[in-house]
Amino acid sequence: LSMSLGLLTLRALRGAPGLCRRTPAATGGLRAASSAAPRDKRAVITESTEEYKFVERLIPPTRIPDPPKHVGAAPSGWTPPAESPPPLPYMIRRSRMHNIPVYSDLTHGNRRMTLVRKVEGDIWALEKDVKEYLRQVTGKELPTQVNEVTMTLKVKGHFEQELKDWLASKGF
Amino acid sequence: MLRFSCLVFSRGAARRFASSFSSETALPPNLRLPSNLVDPDRLKRPPPPEDSSLPLIRKCDAALPAHLSPVRTWVDTLESKDSEPLGLTELHPDVFAVTPRLDILHAVETWQRNYKRISHANTKVRSEVRGGGRKPWKQKGSGRARHGSIRSCPPLKLNCGVSHGPRGPNSYYYMLPMKVRVQGLKVALSSKMAQQYLHVVDSLNIPTPDSQYLLELIRNRHWGESVLLVDVSQEFSENILQATANLKTVNLIPAIGLNVHSMLKHEAIILTLDTVRFLEEKLLWHDERYTFLYPFKLPYSDFP
Repeated sequence: LSMSLGLLTLRALRGAPGLCRRTPAATGGLRAASSAAPRDKRAVITESTEEYKFVERLIPPTRIPDPPKHVGAAPSGWTPPAESPPPLPYMIRRSRMHNIPVYSDLTHGNRRMTLVRKVEGDIWALEKDVKEYLRQVTGKELPTQVNEVTMTLKVKGHFEQELKDWLASKGF
Repeated sequence: MLRFSCLVFSRGAARRFASSFSSETALPPNLRLPSNLVDPDRLKRPPPPEDSSLPLIRKCDAALPAHLSPVRTWVDTLESKDSEPLGLTELHPDVFAVTPRLDILHAVETWQRNYKRISHANTKVRSEVRGGGRKPWKQKGSGRARHGSIRSCPPLKLNCGVSHGPRGPNSYYYMLPMKVRVQGLKVALSSKMAQQYLHVVDSLNIPTPDSQYLLELIRNRHWGESVLLVDVSQEFSENILQATANLKTVNLIPAIGLNVHSMLKHEAIILTLDTVRFLEEKLLWHDERYTFLYPFKLPYSDFP
């Protein structure tokens, strides 16, 4: 104890307090353990993995969770898909974030397109229904492009919100 | 002459145009196909019917989408050469019944071939060819074309430098997006399933370490010319290792080694039930995962 006190006074005299600030008891204990046989019981080093749970709960998950159940629509306007798929010849799956896969595209600064992805089944029936619906909405025949390989549908013009509402009302 | 050539070329016109009006599956009459292209015996065993008496050994672990139903297949054994199927198994449609995207298959196959390629073709530029530092003749007065070194171009000396040739070890490394490669695996499995080249087996235990036994088993069951046996664990039993050691067309791989090139190279793919579970778990995870915050090699809480 006297030795540790002597070391502490030396450190204070040297005047480098900010660099290595250790508690006096710890430095005294470690010094005592390294130099002589451990006489004090409090110098024993113990390992415990119980605190690792605080690290584990910080590690992020990889899977996207299922959305919580809302009564009706969520505050943002999001609606879940219908319990059973609608009895139509085509099916439009939700994206991995549980949204309707309709996206708007703008290329060359003035070319507006709407893209419907993740279509399964009869894509031509979907194209007919989309054309019919947009004719009621806008009053004109819009050009569409069906890609049977990637099962996507492109429509000229920005109709993202209208198509999303229409597909949500159908139950997709 | 013109009238004669028109007459000759329009002779078979009626026969040629007839094919365009007939059904889509009509093959052209002058097409010669090899007789062993499609083995009719392989297609004799249809997929299991709805009301089959055999037990359903395995159901899909993952949640199925509501509008899709699982694919059903027979589960065989390798214990005896001619044995009846043990039961049925259900396969997830999002792994074994996806749309057959041949363009993705092609992309993944070419990636697999080219990303490892390093071409060592190298030619020397005029500065690297030995010699040719001195101006061969003076600029003006000799009557010949003006040149600065003998190594610049062919008319001077044949060992000249190549200006725009291949330059040293060149790497063709590129990576396709992870999801494209995963989709390639799913498309390959689905295509094999659709063509009835995919078989499920309970385990890869055979009674004898004899290669002939395996070959006769494959021939009896009309699996195909080349067979790829896939198991989950990296340790295989001694019998199967010895049996496939000397066979060129029958190969073993662990499930982590499954790739599109091997699946296209071998005609038949044999999966065990554990392999099916492993593949479904790993391949379906990509459909419902976040994009990575840090590489997937580092720990995550629920990495499959």
